[in-house]
Amino acid sequence: MYEFLNQNQMFIVLIITLLIWSGIIWYLTRLDKKINQLEKRLKKD
Amino acid sequence: MKAIKYASIVCITCAILAGIAIPMVPQPQSWLEFPIIPGLEDKARNIFFHVPMAWSSVLGFLCALYYGFRYLRTKDFDYDIKSVSSAGLGTMFCILATVTGSLWAKFNWGSFWNWDPRETSIFILLLIYGAYFTLRSALGSDEVRARLSAVYSILAGLTAPFFIFIMPRVIGGLHPGAKGDTAGSTPVAQLHMPPNMRVVFIISIIGFSLLFVWLLDIRVRAARIEYQLSKKEI
Repeated sequence: MYEFLNQNQMFIVLIITLLIWSGIIWYLTRLDKKINQLEKRLKKD
Repeated sequence: MKAIKYASIVCITCAILAGIAIPMVPQPQSWLEFPIIPGLEDKARNIFFHVPMAWSSVLGFLCALYYGFRYLRTKDFDYDIKSVSSAGLGTMFCILATVTGSLWAKFNWGSFWNWDPRETSIFILLLIYGAYFTLRSALGSDEVRARLSAVYSILAGLTAPFFIFIMPRVIGGLHPGAKGDTAGSTPVAQLHMPPNMRVVFIISIIGFSLLFVWLLDIRVRAARIEYQLSKKEI
C-alpha cells in the first residue's frame, strides 16, 4: 500500500481531498441531527 | 449570503479541478502547466487543500476571539452563540489540517507523527480548544458560561496565530518555512510559488474561507433557534 501510494502520488492528493470532504460531511450530518432535534422540540410546543 | 454560497462553491470547485487536473512538467511552457517541485512532485498539489484548512481554523479562532470580545462589551447572547460556533468550526478545520498534514508527513517525512514544531504547535492548539469546550460544558449557568468562555476564547484566540504562524517559523524543523529552511521547499511556504500555482492557491483559500462563513451561518442559525426554544421552555 505504502509503495503503491509512493509511486502514484496523485492518490495521496485524492485521499487528502476525500478526508477534507468527509470532515465537512461529518460536520454537516451533526448539524442535521441537531436541527432535527430542534424541529421535534418545536412540534412539541 | 447567497453570493457567498455560490462564490464558495465556484471557488472550491475551480481549485479542486485546477489543482488536480493541471499537469506537472519539468519545464512549464504555458499557463496551464505547473513546474515540478523537487522533493514534492505530485504531492505539491496538497498545498491547495491542506493549507486552506489551517487558514480556516485560524479564521475560526480569530472570529471566536472577536465575538467573545463583542460579548464582553455588549452582554448580548447572540455574540456568545457566534463565538462558540466559530470556535467549533475552527476546531473542525484544525483537526482536518492535522489529519491531512499527518498523511502528507507519512510520505514526505516518513512517519505519520514526528513531533515536528509544526505538529507540536497544532497539537497544543487542539488541546487548548479541547479545554475550551470542556470548560463550556462544565459550567451550568448561561451567564457565567458565556462570560468565562468569552474570556477564554480571547486568550486562546491570541495564542492561535502565534502557534500557527510564528512558533514553527522560529524553531528549526521539517515543515517548509521552518528556521534554516532555505531553498528546497520555500516555494511552498512563503508564497514564492509559481504564479499559476499561487492563483489556484489563493482561489482555494478564498473558497474555503467563504465555505467557513457559510457553515458558520448555518450553525449560528441553529444555535439561535435552540437558545430561543430553551428560553421559551423556562
